[in-house]
Amino acid sequence: MNDSSRPLLEACDVSKSVNGPEGRLDILRHVELRIRPGESFAIVGASGSGKTTLLGLLAGLDTPDSGSIRLDGQALEQLDEEARADLRRRLVGFVFQSFHLLPALTAEENVMLPLELEGSSAARPRARAALEAVGLGARRRHYPAQLSGGEQQRVAIARAFVHGPRVLFADEPTGNLDQRTGHHVCDLLFALNRDHRTTLVLVTHDTALAARCDRRIELDEGRVLAAAAGIPA
Amino acid sequence: MRLLLLALRTLRREWRLPELRTLAASLVLAVVALGVVATLAARIERGMLANAAELIGGDIGIGSPQTLPAKFAAAGRQRGLATNATASFPSVAFAHQQTQLLDVLASDRHYPLRGTLQLRDAAGHAYDGRAPSPGQVYLDHRALVALNLKVGQPLQLGGRELTIGAELLRQPDGGELLALAPRALMSLADAKQAGLLGVGSRARHRLLLAGAPAAVRDWRDWVRKTALPQGAELITPEQTQQRMRTAFDRAGAFLRLTALLSALLAGVAIALASQRYARRKTAEVALLRALGTPRRRVLGLLLGTLGALALPAATLGVLLALGLAQLAWLLAGQLFAGMPTALPLAPSFAAAAMGIAVLLGFALAPLARLAEVPPVAVFRQSAARRVRRFDALYLVPALVALGLIWSQSGSLKLAGILAASLSGVALLAALLAACLLWLARRVAPGAHPALRLGLAALARRRSLSLIQATALSLGLCALLLLAVVAPALLQDWRQELPADTPNWFALNLQDDQRAGFAHELAAIGGQQLNMLPLAVGKLTAINGTPIDRMHFRDPRAAEWADRQLRLSWSSALPPSNKVIAGQWAGPDPARAEVSIDTLWRDMFGLKIGDRLRFNIGESSLDARVGSVRQVDWSSFRVNFFLLFDPAHAGGLPHTWLASFYLPPGHARALAQLSRAYGNLSLIDVDSLLGRVREIVDRVGNAVRGILGFSLLAGALVLAAALAASAAERRHEAALLRTLGARRHQLRAAAACEFALLGLVAGLTAALGAAGAGLWLARAVFHIDGFVPPPWPLALAALGAAATVMLLGLAGTRKVTRTPPMRLLREQ
Repeated sequence: MNDSSRPLLEACDVSKSVNGPEGRLDILRHVELRIRPGESFAIVGASGSGKTTLLGLLAGLDTPDSGSIRLDGQALEQLDEEARADLRRRLVGFVFQSFHLLPALTAEENVMLPLELEGSSAARPRARAALEAVGLGARRRHYPAQLSGGEQQRVAIARAFVHGPRVLFADEPTGNLDQRTGHHVCDLLFALNRDHRTTLVLVTHDTALAARCDRRIELDEGRVLAAAAGIPA
Repeated sequence: MRLLLLALRTLRREWRLPELRTLAASLVLAVVALGVVATLAARIERGMLANAAELIGGDIGIGSPQTLPAKFAAAGRQRGLATNATASFPSVAFAHQQTQLLDVLASDRHYPLRGTLQLRDAAGHAYDGRAPSPGQVYLDHRALVALNLKVGQPLQLGGRELTIGAELLRQPDGGELLALAPRALMSLADAKQAGLLGVGSRARHRLLLAGAPAAVRDWRDWVRKTALPQGAELITPEQTQQRMRTAFDRAGAFLRLTALLSALLAGVAIALASQRYARRKTAEVALLRALGTPRRRVLGLLLGTLGALALPAATLGVLLALGLAQLAWLLAGQLFAGMPTALPLAPSFAAAAMGIAVLLGFALAPLARLAEVPPVAVFRQSAARRVRRFDALYLVPALVALGLIWSQSGSLKLAGILAASLSGVALLAALLAACLLWLARRVAPGAHPALRLGLAALARRRSLSLIQATALSLGLCALLLLAVVAPALLQDWRQELPADTPNWFALNLQDDQRAGFAHELAAIGGQQLNMLPLAVGKLTAINGTPIDRMHFRDPRAAEWADRQLRLSWSSALPPSNKVIAGQWAGPDPARAEVSIDTLWRDMFGLKIGDRLRFNIGESSLDARVGSVRQVDWSSFRVNFFLLFDPAHAGGLPHTWLASFYLPPGHARALAQLSRAYGNLSLIDVDSLLGRVREIVDRVGNAVRGILGFSLLAGALVLAAALAASAAERRHEAALLRTLGARRHQLRAAAACEFALLGLVAGLTAALGAAGAGLWLARAVFHIDGFVPPPWPLALAALGAAATVMLLGLAGTRKVTRTPPMRLLREQ
């Protein structure tokens, strides 16, 4: 099996539940999936179907109750939180529905954050280049409150790509944007995915956006619907 | 009513919120601190007045150069007050062909109304008694020695033969430190029959009254409305006991300062907690507004919730304050043994009102602004943060703080100094924090990653960082004032009365007895012997005008002009005297000079260069006013209103006044010495000194006790300051963890952030506490040469920085453990 055929991300029989006021609630049940390097992959489903939980587990933000998740060949459940943080810093980028930019930092400083965490000595020029790549070079000194929603999401995309992650997780990246702006942001995401050969895993309601991905799965009450899965065994 | 029910329901739901608990705890603390101190102060005041009453022999009285009309005593008796009439005058006694001038007090049988009259019978037994019956007289030791008499023997006084009924050991109204002549106590009826009180006598009459406080007040009010006879004046306990008064005044100022700072600390915690509460409630208020709730109703609901929280908290505070004040009183009971001990309730209720004013004052601004959140904020959070350049509501806490300082400090000076110092600290802290944030932006890019993240974190929460630095600085400044500066001030106060402060005075020493007395005193262990000449004379003219032809606006002047004055001279300026105008004459000026105390300057309207003439025995002395002195009358030294230069006054008829320190346990040897010098009169001031020392120590203990409240209040401020940024911190930590930040990176960044914040606060607080301490020492406590201790302050500032860092880190532990997944969930 060569590099491109070996899955970058793999979930085997993953289940997750939480204890709520009315007892135990299963959020994910026996989820199986494999995502190859450079692939774009959509997770769709109704609200409460477990999409965001699955994204969090795949990104190593949480651990499954049972089953296994392998990112770049490493079983995440066998790593402690510190090791998972280390893996995230090296391999993972995030784009959130509500952008999650730090309001007191300029666009450039927000993009510098992942590089600063790595201890990179060239954080500023690299952040500037990333902002240029998303078309915001001229607005690098602006604060989030001075940017439109679309511009804020482009800053978030620049932050997600700046340290060259191998996989980018996007949680409803167009959820807070109007259709036209959302479209532009998606174009940008897919272009970067193509240019950097970054694996793109996105959670969305938007069927049009999901349709642009190489593959997609649909979740319903924590289960992968077989008809929509199309997962190669 | 419905609004109140809704407010109560809201409070029940939200009681788990830490900021509401901080609000309640701060209010309880403020009420307790203010209440305990005010209650104790009220009790001490009562005790003091009772003490002073003992000293004057009644609760109130009138002194007059003539016999008082009977209506004054009758008005007292009508009000249920006991009365006692006395007259004091000098008179000459004869026995065994010897004569002796005596200070005589003639009294009816009711003397003393307050305090005790201590006597000794012929067998040498001491007992408490009453004024002598007609035909009897009591003499003090000096009189017995001078006339060579014993108890039971007869003597001639005012032309009548009287029997010595007892030796006078101690009497109320014996507080006058320097009695000029030996004393005698006789019956008023005898004095009248002997014609000692007739027209032309130099008797001073007194009517003393005692009874229930309300009746005393009523009589006092009646007297104020009635014209007093020429030259008569009210005698009140407040006027007496000047030395004790100074000690108590200082004690009161210390305690009020401590309580005040605790209450202000609580105010800072309240301000921070309500700010955070308002932030948390923004979304809820926006929703209420969007659903059509009018602004007034929202404000009513918020204030109702606050009120429902405030009332039980203030009640708890009052109960705790009363309990603690009672406990403190029981522990300090021996200081006022036998004094009225009813627990005053009013101060605690006043403290509750002040606590609620602090709560309202410090919480009103954020809550009132919260009510203004527009309904559109349900869609756009940024709409809730309307930019305002100035909001008058934010002046309310400053005004409340000023009012509190004003009402509690009891003096404009203390209020001004505290307000100015704390404002200075707040400004300096805000300025330093702003500089730090500015530097953060400049330095951060090239700094160590942890420092860079820490600086970035400070800069990210710009306004919160400023608020935190200011609040922490104010809190720390108050704590440093209490923990470091106040004990240092107390220490300096204690040193004003070192262990070897003169505790005995000897009067009437003659020129030829000086050397022998000094030698024998040294032999029995006397130390610090200091002798000053003492002459007795009268003021006869000012600038050539005879004094009896002058009219003075100040009523005290006429009285002093009529008095025998104690005069002394010295080549050097005595300790605890300060020349504030003119120049000290020195040993040998060209013309006779007199240095006057500020009281004389004010009473007679004197200025440098005025000429005063005195009659001393057969001689007279013309002296120019060469200097004006400020005398510290609270020091236990011999001080004089009038001091001449020795070159011109040395030849006047005089005796010597000696002050010395005699260690405890030498009283018997001193008694033997006094028998060898029969004319000598010894006065023991050890008990007075001991009481003042005891007061200093008790104030020290009380300040330490109240410091406990202040530390709690300080901890609340710190908790509230850290909690203020906890939500943002959690969000940031989760984001950084999501982006791959390691725990130690977050911890190092937090350590840098809090250490910088703590340093700014510690530095500002130390500077502020030192400055305020210096200022307070000079202007309020009148402790000269006080230097705030630099090392303890520096160490305390560093310690404070370390504490802020450690507590900040402890608070961050939870934050760094927040699962990053929460971030996705919070969307």
